[in-house]
Amino acid sequence: MSTLLLPDEGTAYVNGFDVAKQANEVRSSIGVVTGGERGLYWRLTGRENLLFFARLYGVREDKAKPRIEELLKLVELEDRANDNVEKYSRGMKQRLHLIRGLIHDPPTLLLDEPTLGLDPNSAVVVREFIKEKLQKEQGKTILLTTHYMEEADQLCDQIAVIDHGQIISKGTPAELKAGVQKIDVLRINATSVPESLISDVKLIGGVQEVKTSVIDPVAGLTEILVHTRSAEETLPHLTETMVKAGARVRLIEQSKPSLEDVFITLTGRRLRD
Amino acid sequence: MNLELEWLTFKGVILRHFKEFVSYRTSVFATIIWPLPLLALNVYQYLGLASGQQVGQVLNAKYGIASFSGMIILGTIVYLLYNRMLWGTGASLQEERFNGTIESLFLTPANRMTVLLASGFSSLLEGAWWIVGVFLLSWVIFGVQPAIADWGAVIIALISTMIALIAVGVFFASFFVLTRAADQLATSLQAPIRYASGVAFPVAALPAVFQLFAYILPVTYGINALRSTVVQEGTLISLVGTLAPLYIFTAILIVAGHFILKRVEAQAKRNGSLYKI
Repeated sequence: MSTLLLPDEGTAYVNGFDVAKQANEVRSSIGVVTGGERGLYWRLTGRENLLFFARLYGVREDKAKPRIEELLKLVELEDRANDNVEKYSRGMKQRLHLIRGLIHDPPTLLLDEPTLGLDPNSAVVVREFIKEKLQKEQGKTILLTTHYMEEADQLCDQIAVIDHGQIISKGTPAELKAGVQKIDVLRINATSVPESLISDVKLIGGVQEVKTSVIDPVAGLTEILVHTRSAEETLPHLTETMVKAGARVRLIEQSKPSLEDVFITLTGRRLRD
Repeated sequence: MNLELEWLTFKGVILRHFKEFVSYRTSVFATIIWPLPLLALNVYQYLGLASGQQVGQVLNAKYGIASFSGMIILGTIVYLLYNRMLWGTGASLQEERFNGTIESLFLTPANRMTVLLASGFSSLLEGAWWIVGVFLLSWVIFGVQPAIADWGAVIIALISTMIALIAVGVFFASFFVLTRAADQLATSLQAPIRYASGVAFPVAALPAVFQLFAYILPVTYGINALRSTVVQEGTLISLVGTLAPLYIFTAILIVAGHFILKRVEAQAKRNGSLYKI
């Protein structure tokens, strides 16, 4: 859709333009924002990068310069705008990426993993910018690709879950979650969890998926997420299995499915498999 | 064609190259220093055998070369500019890819040929010092006396050579982007061109088979045009035989570069990769 690749089959239109036959019109009407360190000229300043891309989009200097100042302010980069990009932090580069995609004020934005590799604070800033400024204030149409389900939940009105190149489910976040409401999620915090426990828990009737992660290495605290058809039926067997395995249970709670649970249920695998 | 977009693209690429060029002092320093030993090498390999006057007499008698040092200096200037195109414009798309900016560039509506032509123009501007600097030094150190009969012919020869070199850069750029080994290819193209185009000796001194190769190289015609007008009192009329093939090769390289680039981009869109060789 960004015109970098041709469709395998069929046709696609962006803002009324055919992506294969009217590639230049599509390029002029979209802004593409990629994640990561690449895509910017490191030996130019942030401001010079923006002016360079403005020219490549055919934006005249008398319009580009005030636009650049406005955008730099929007992402709070105006104080560092005259520094070479090579001196920017990862989060600053990402904010520059975002406004680079906005330099020609396109109605549609393609955001490809916009918070990839950012520290939590920077990711929050970027997400707020996308939601508050781009979506709410400027009314941009945004196509966002992400592996972070929490991000999709927070930012997207419509979600398509893609697995092995195929859309396997789509809808609003609420619709997708409702689709897996029949799945109960049990969250257990425990210490002294033996490795064999996972396979033992998987043998309990109704259990569909078990996921563990260490949440406090010093205290040896592990979080276990169990997806089951019925929490009520699974819970007695689960506690018995854990006690037998020698695990010391600190907390058990039933939680609502998140989009991550939706993804795991739909694809039958973890996000990063 | 949107002329305003073309102009903005052209200007944008030139200014970007200039900023990048001056952002590292070492690259400016290297650009200034690098050509000088090369020039001296070309001259002193003759002076190790005989005096300048003796060498000049032999070259004049055998090949009609009026100025031994002038021959070498003009050959060296064109060769330096050719190298600049090879590494500057020829490797420009490859560099964009290594720097991770080629996608950002190709996602804009900017004309790719305009980007390459502007890159070529920038490379020549960066190398412009060599034309002035090398000539001044050669005048001071080697006592080269220009023999110019027609300044118009000199200017036309210089501009025609520069345009031809930009065409060479554009052609290489569209070709180099197909490989992961553009640097090695560029290196491998330095010595053969230096040899066959007669940078430091007359092409007529080459074996006949290599002379055939020499006359399909725009660099050869560029060198001949400048030698003729700067040190041999050549005029516009005497240049016709040299400039005509130069223009033909320039047109061929530009058209071929444009065609290859379009094919390369179309292939990349289909396969998701630019690499072919």
